[in-house]
Amino acid sequence: MMKKIVHIIQDNNLFIKIFLVMVISIIAVSIFITISSIRMSSNLFMETFSITNTKVLTQIKDRFNTFSYSVVSTSIKVDENGTIKRRLQEETSNDIEKSRSYYQIKTQMERIFAEIDPNEANLIIMSLDNEIFNMNYFNWPVKGTELRNHPITKQTEARTNEIIYQFDQSNLTNNIPMVIVSKALTEHSTGKIYGYQYVSIREKDLRSFYEGYTSEGNNVLLINSSGQIISSNFHQKIGEKEPKLLQTAKNIENQGIEYLNVNIFNEDYLMLAEYLPTLDMYIVNLVDKDKVQSNLVDTNEIILISTLIVLIAVFIVFLILRKMTVSISKLVNQISDMARYQFTKPLEETGGYEAKKIANSFNYMLNELHDYVEILLRTQEKQRKAELEALQHQINPHFIYNTLASIKFMIKQGKKETAFNTIDAFISLIQNALGDVDELITVEQELGNLKNYVLINHARYGDRIKVNYLVSPDCLHLQLPKLVIQPFIENAFFHAFTKKKHGYIQILMAQRENSLVCEIVDNGDGINEEKIDRKAIGMKGKRQLFSGIGVRNVHERIQLLYGKNYGVNITSELNKGTKVVITLPIIEELENQK
Amino acid sequence: MKRISKKLLFFLFLALILTLAACSGGNESGSDEGGSDGNTITAWAWDPNFNIAALELAKEKYSGEEGIELDIIENAQDDIVQKLNTGLSSGTMKGMPNIVLIEDQRAQSFLQSYPDAFYPIGDYFNKEDFASYKLPPTSLDGKQYGLPFDTGVTGLFYRTDYLEEAGFTKEDLTNITWKQYIEIGKTVKEKTGHNFLSLDPNDLGILRVMMQSAGAWYTDEEGNINLVDNEPLRLALENYKAIMEADMVKLNSDWSQYIAAFNSGDVATVPAGNWIAPSIEAEESQAGKWAVAPTPRLDIEGTVNASNQGGSSFYVLNIDGKEKAAEFLANTFGSNVEFYDELVTEVGALGTYTPAAESEAYQVENEFFGGQQLISDFSKWMEEIPQVDYGMNTYGIEDILAAEIQNYLNGKSLEDVLADAQSQAEAQFK
Repeated sequence: MMKKIVHIIQDNNLFIKIFLVMVISIIAVSIFITISSIRMSSNLFMETFSITNTKVLTQIKDRFNTFSYSVVSTSIKVDENGTIKRRLQEETSNDIEKSRSYYQIKTQMERIFAEIDPNEANLIIMSLDNEIFNMNYFNWPVKGTELRNHPITKQTEARTNEIIYQFDQSNLTNNIPMVIVSKALTEHSTGKIYGYQYVSIREKDLRSFYEGYTSEGNNVLLINSSGQIISSNFHQKIGEKEPKLLQTAKNIENQGIEYLNVNIFNEDYLMLAEYLPTLDMYIVNLVDKDKVQSNLVDTNEIILISTLIVLIAVFIVFLILRKMTVSISKLVNQISDMARYQFTKPLEETGGYEAKKIANSFNYMLNELHDYVEILLRTQEKQRKAELEALQHQINPHFIYNTLASIKFMIKQGKKETAFNTIDAFISLIQNALGDVDELITVEQELGNLKNYVLINHARYGDRIKVNYLVSPDCLHLQLPKLVIQPFIENAFFHAFTKKKHGYIQILMAQRENSLVCEIVDNGDGINEEKIDRKAIGMKGKRQLFSGIGVRNVHERIQLLYGKNYGVNITSELNKGTKVVITLPIIEELENQK
Repeated sequence: MKRISKKLLFFLFLALILTLAACSGGNESGSDEGGSDGNTITAWAWDPNFNIAALELAKEKYSGEEGIELDIIENAQDDIVQKLNTGLSSGTMKGMPNIVLIEDQRAQSFLQSYPDAFYPIGDYFNKEDFASYKLPPTSLDGKQYGLPFDTGVTGLFYRTDYLEEAGFTKEDLTNITWKQYIEIGKTVKEKTGHNFLSLDPNDLGILRVMMQSAGAWYTDEEGNINLVDNEPLRLALENYKAIMEADMVKLNSDWSQYIAAFNSGDVATVPAGNWIAPSIEAEESQAGKWAVAPTPRLDIEGTVNASNQGGSSFYVLNIDGKEKAAEFLANTFGSNVEFYDELVTEVGALGTYTPAAESEAYQVENEFFGGQQLISDFSKWMEEIPQVDYGMNTYGIEDILAAEIQNYLNGKSLEDVLADAQSQAEAQFK
């Protein structure tokens, strides 16, 4: 199983490699592009968002300023109103006077109140006798005694010439968060207080100054100089003290920073701030980046799109790569198989363009190689044949000379009969030796040749070496190449009997197991096994006495002609003799060849 | 090669389609316009403890065949007036409620200014079942537009202990005239040192109470400003001046001081609408020390010891869902005695539906007021309230009059005061 997997991996090595590289690159590229595009868009968004919010903040600031101007203007008008001043200070002796006083104060106030009324603000004037003139009772139903003894009034008394903004959500305001702007009414000459004026605005109405600009994650807070949140769309934070927020707002304002990233209320915000000099307050804009962005930059969508593109790209790459690499892998497989098993089988020309081209060229090369090898083989064969032929045609001139000299001596001695026989044998031997080396002759003819050769040798050297022929009659008509047996006879004649002077050579020929076996056995000196192993059969280097074909060539020649199953086998024992076995195929004599 | 590029193109095309589909996926939510759809109707009112509570109760008590969902929206009264004016004058009617509560004294200005904006609901209930004084302000040209809600029937709230101390009994205060009232006041001030009543010089409510008891108003039935030859008004002003000159008034400049005047025990009487009762009852230490007498009357023919101050009615706007809204009102405020029983016991609101007066809940004795059958008495007086057409400019005329009254108090002759006020008002409103 493991092996199989390894095998599959090896087979698809190329594909896996390229595919992995492609997939990794595609994914990497798309991840980087996705991240950077999200980052860029959110940066761009934050940039424009902060610009817009700066503008919005400026608008809110303008609204607050307009409001505070109207408050100041109201305050000045109340302060400068002679009727109010007179009526607040006058001692009334009866109801009619008092009624007139009340009526006139209210009438004056109504005129002044018109300026701040559109802001849902309320105007209250309180006399030293705790009489309250309330322009909008519904807005702030306050009792004179309570107001008089409240810290707000105490503060106002302490800072007579200032317009004081104070935040309150105590019982005084029925727990409704409210900003109360108060000022003591004083005589300019003596500084004596003759009454108090209050402009109150509920936090809810103050909030309407900026609420339209807020949204989820985009929050506005109004903090006073003590760090108290006096108005916000974070309802639950109203009234709380946040010195950290105040400090940050101060930093932003003082250093002229556009915005800061801060952690407030345990969350990360983008913070913008504006100082309201007329109110001594800060407008703080807290933007929850994530929330705002999630509303406007759809990260999921971008990721979805890139994932989709990646998937499609990978799919396409897979298809194309598969097509390309599978054919190449196949080629590689075929080529490696070819080296192992079949060299001749051409490659399949399939797959993509490249693969086809490669297979085609490879096949072309293979064919060329085949042709070349064949030509080479044929040339070598020819060469060998030529060589053999040349050797065969070179009948040793010494043999001829010696034979002729022997015959001359026979004639001189008057052995006319012997000379005649010898010359006869010599003629047929020569006749046989000349001619095509490839030419097959029958066993009978070869036997004749051998007999002739032996005859000549006996004539020349005497007959101390007897030669016996044991040839099975059924072999006589079989065919065999020329000069196959003769070199061994010659060898035995001239080398086997150097120590022993007498002996015999037996020639046995028979059909055995579908082959023709010739045995040349002598009882001569024998040779060392080592010499046979070294294939030093025959007299290497020494010239053959009859023809150029030596013992050495015979084995090669037979194998060349008939294959590995045939050839020469030599066994020998020192002082006992040598046995040469020649195995040849059975070749029947053909009628027409004759 | 060609095949591959074809495939590639196909996939790119596919990717494009998918991308476009993904992009367009998000924005499918259609815009939804507000308004009354289906069985939901909206109502505007201003007081969570009073008229909104009454609507909540009505919602609970509604037993009509059609299922109606009532959506009650709280707005300050000034906001309602402003929004109605803005919406009706623009004519779009968008964002307008189905039912709106309007103060009786303002009603005519709306009905006359925007005649087509309101839906006549006279066919849905029997207007004879309601206190007759409520009908003129809620109708126009013979068509009934408003369904009368609460009454502003007035009474004379008084401290029994103070008056007893000065030697007065219950009978001495019953069915008196304003002149008698002033005389009693002088005696009380003299004998006990307590002021007799509390007044805000900027609020002429007491003048209206006096006038209506005689069936008069700043305007006549044709809507003409009628100040000069208005005998009841003349008498009312004389009474007003007499009260001021008697030096028995605890003057106040705002509501909290007004409440404080009687809660602190400063004043002996409070001539006001029945709605002041909860404020009086709020001071529990004075339990048992209060009683209510009928409102004093003017010394003139045809005047009664009953009058009105405030009070409002429901109106149905002429928009989709008006039939349902009218149906809803008729089923609850227009016909349900049981509903009025609970209204008076649970919410403490006294309606103007006369059949309810017979019910048991109305007969309950109020311990704070010494066991007096307060609601029963009020509903009795309510039926006597003379009908008055409030016209369109009640508050405007009153502003002019308020200034002139100061002159009157300081010595200007009454004829001049009225004549000047008349000419100013005519210049302003004609």
